[in-house]
Amino acid sequence: MFETIRLAKGVNVHVNETTQFKTINISIKFKDKLSKEKASARSILANVLQHSNEAYPSHTALRMVLDDLYGTSLYMDSSKRGNEHIVSLNVETVNDQYLSESGVLEKVLNLMYLVLFKPNLEHDLFKETIFQREKNAVKERIESLIDDKTRYAQQRMMDLALPDHPASIPATGTIEEVEAISNEKLMEEYRTMIESNEVEIYAVGDVKPETIAAYIRDYFHFTDREKPLAAPSMELKKPAQQRVAEFEDMKQGKLHMTFFSPVTFRDEKFPVMQLFNGIFGGYAHSKLFVNIREKESMAYYVSSSYSSQFGLMFVLAGIDGKLEEKAVKLILQQLEEIKAGNITDVEFGQTKALLTNQLTEALDSARGQIDIYDQYMELDEGFEPDYLISRWNKVTKEDIAQAAQDLSLEMTYFLSGKESEINA
Amino acid sequence: MHKVEFKQLDETLYHEKLDNGLEVFILPKKGFSKTFATFTTKYGSIDNHFVPRGEKEAIKVPDGIAHFLEHKMFEKEEGDIFQQFSKQGASANAFTSFTRTAYLFSATGQLNENIETLLDFVQEPYFTESTVEKEKGIIAQEITMYDDQPDWRLYFGIIENMYKNHPVKIDIAGTVESIQDITAEHLYTCYNTFYHPSNMVLFVVGAVDPEAMMKLVKENQSRKTFEDAHEIERIFPDEPVETAVKERVLTMSVQKPKVFVGIKPEKMDMQGSEMLKHELAAELAFELLFGRTSDFYHNAYEKNWIDESYSFDYSLENGFGYAIIGSDTAEPQILADEIKHTIANAVEKWPFGQADLDRMRRKKIGFFLRALNSPEYIANQFTRYTFNGMNLFEVVPVLEEIEVTDLQQAFALVSAESQQSVFTIEPPAKKEAE
Repeated sequence: MFETIRLAKGVNVHVNETTQFKTINISIKFKDKLSKEKASARSILANVLQHSNEAYPSHTALRMVLDDLYGTSLYMDSSKRGNEHIVSLNVETVNDQYLSESGVLEKVLNLMYLVLFKPNLEHDLFKETIFQREKNAVKERIESLIDDKTRYAQQRMMDLALPDHPASIPATGTIEEVEAISNEKLMEEYRTMIESNEVEIYAVGDVKPETIAAYIRDYFHFTDREKPLAAPSMELKKPAQQRVAEFEDMKQGKLHMTFFSPVTFRDEKFPVMQLFNGIFGGYAHSKLFVNIREKESMAYYVSSSYSSQFGLMFVLAGIDGKLEEKAVKLILQQLEEIKAGNITDVEFGQTKALLTNQLTEALDSARGQIDIYDQYMELDEGFEPDYLISRWNKVTKEDIAQAAQDLSLEMTYFLSGKESEINA
Repeated sequence: MHKVEFKQLDETLYHEKLDNGLEVFILPKKGFSKTFATFTTKYGSIDNHFVPRGEKEAIKVPDGIAHFLEHKMFEKEEGDIFQQFSKQGASANAFTSFTRTAYLFSATGQLNENIETLLDFVQEPYFTESTVEKEKGIIAQEITMYDDQPDWRLYFGIIENMYKNHPVKIDIAGTVESIQDITAEHLYTCYNTFYHPSNMVLFVVGAVDPEAMMKLVKENQSRKTFEDAHEIERIFPDEPVETAVKERVLTMSVQKPKVFVGIKPEKMDMQGSEMLKHELAAELAFELLFGRTSDFYHNAYEKNWIDESYSFDYSLENGFGYAIIGSDTAEPQILADEIKHTIANAVEKWPFGQADLDRMRRKKIGFFLRALNSPEYIANQFTRYTFNGMNLFEVVPVLEEIEVTDLQQAFALVSAESQQSVFTIEPPAKKEAE
């Protein structure tokens, strides 16, 4: 699907030339080791770089030129995968065959160059007012997490279950680390990102691979770089507490559970865990949905998810604040069913059908193509949808029962209203 | 079957209105593996006062019933319809809005089976008192979940402020109390009135062969008998142009205060081409006044009155509408005043000319072309446009015709002080140290 062209050591361009879309999507991904400090600094950096640059020195000037380019979308974000932190510059622009104007792509590539290589500086540092404002914006983004109780509960559980582990470090960083970052430190991170990060560049749309590669080779100055050596350990250590209850001013109870699995993305048993998750709680036909929502009418949402990079399995449910015990019991009962091999042919078939559908469907969006390819690239066998589907078809019910037996419940976290605290 | 080509967009749309009144649209997308289908009735949370099919007297039904009905459509005597879709490798879902209830799936295989399942499950209701009772616990948890979401409370808070009588002010899911009154009989009454094929649209987009699909749908429909189509009589209360409440504050556990300024349009009975032109012109006007290149945005961002949560939106349906502008902010009062001043200044002296319009027009055309990559966007928006007598694929030609004076005229309908309202969510006051 993607054709890869190496530009320098650690710098690759991957292009999928296709007429499926009316737009051209380009992403430039900078990969570094994950730490709280790096995540915090690089989140500010993403904000500062997308704010303005030398050629378009105000936010308004940059946004006006994007509007003129048929509302080209351009934004930077920070994310993480396993023990890597990723800063991406993402652009989507209209394929100019649908427009009365040509040369749009070249202008967009030039803008990407300006965003990355010509930042808005004064005295060799980022413009101080912009630095302060964007640092504050990132801090406020982290602070606003508590307004979303599901995400907040999940983050609290991770902080308690696996402190300082890559699984609990937020991609946006932490308030303490964001506050500690100086303009000098940010400039240092910027240099590291441009000069020594692994760079993966993706393009999807009606473009020739050589055109994109040639432009980036000629105008962007990416030199050879090494993969960082000492990535932080992803070993899972037993949490200090097994059950934590916390209270906020809220109505619903948020039940979050963490299980450890010895199987990760790189493991040959990875497809077994994908199927296990689908049968347990990944879909509307799964045991959790059918038994806890449909049979017991206890929840609107109840699901499981598999974080394959770390070998973590989560269960999430929104329930009445007084029903934690009952819900935990029912959830564990469903797990026992799978451990005992009580999986119907229907459940098995449905899960394989939906995993296949999900995978195929994701390829119908340019972003989906980029995300999946970027994730699977690290595997020797790379990304082949048919191969992945064939792996699911080899899995047996016994394999799934075994995967369930290998899970261990490590933490139950319950966030609920102050009312339940008083009644408890 | 009619075939309409949109050459500039490189899209071909197939359409037919079946004998039973069902409108069927099919849009093949080259290179796509998946097909996305929506089966939508023009029936939403606002339709709570109507004359039931076959009767003479209008009735009022409990709040939240359209959404409740949507949930219950999935349960059949033989089990849950999600199970059937899963067997056929399809992800199914549904949603209820103020004006529509949509049932949908996406699939990369077994398209014919999935289309049949979609049509059949929506056209074969099965409600009993016990299944209705059982659903109340699930929906109560859904309502409670939304109650804990400050952004949802903010959105509904400003709508409640703006509307005095219109049912748009009622939460789509109703309340934990109001849903207790819902019975299986209510559901049948609503179903029989609003789920007639003549009140519905089927939209299929993606990897689909238009001829074969149309044939399949027709055969499916001809196997079923329906009563004659009839005009549904919906009753809406009179709604003044002025907002019901000027200012209101809700205390809730939030990190930072949140504020929305809402503006109610003066004219809310537009449909068809008048509505399309007005909607696009108003969106362009608000984009110029409050978008990311506006003086307002620049000033408010630099002064720290808005943050990354800042948003603005204009939405219009038959009978109601609203512009909403706001953000999380440490200074809700200052921000609300600044938004109101910006509007007042533009009313007094219109600040934008041809170059501004041209830039925004390009931006909007680009946005539209991007959106056409998304089967979900096409199906949902096309259906909304159809229910309002508009055509989604006329967006670009109409955008190209719009002039600066159209922006001024559209804005003039959504700007008067009497049509404005402010809703704020504030964290509880910090207690003094004891």
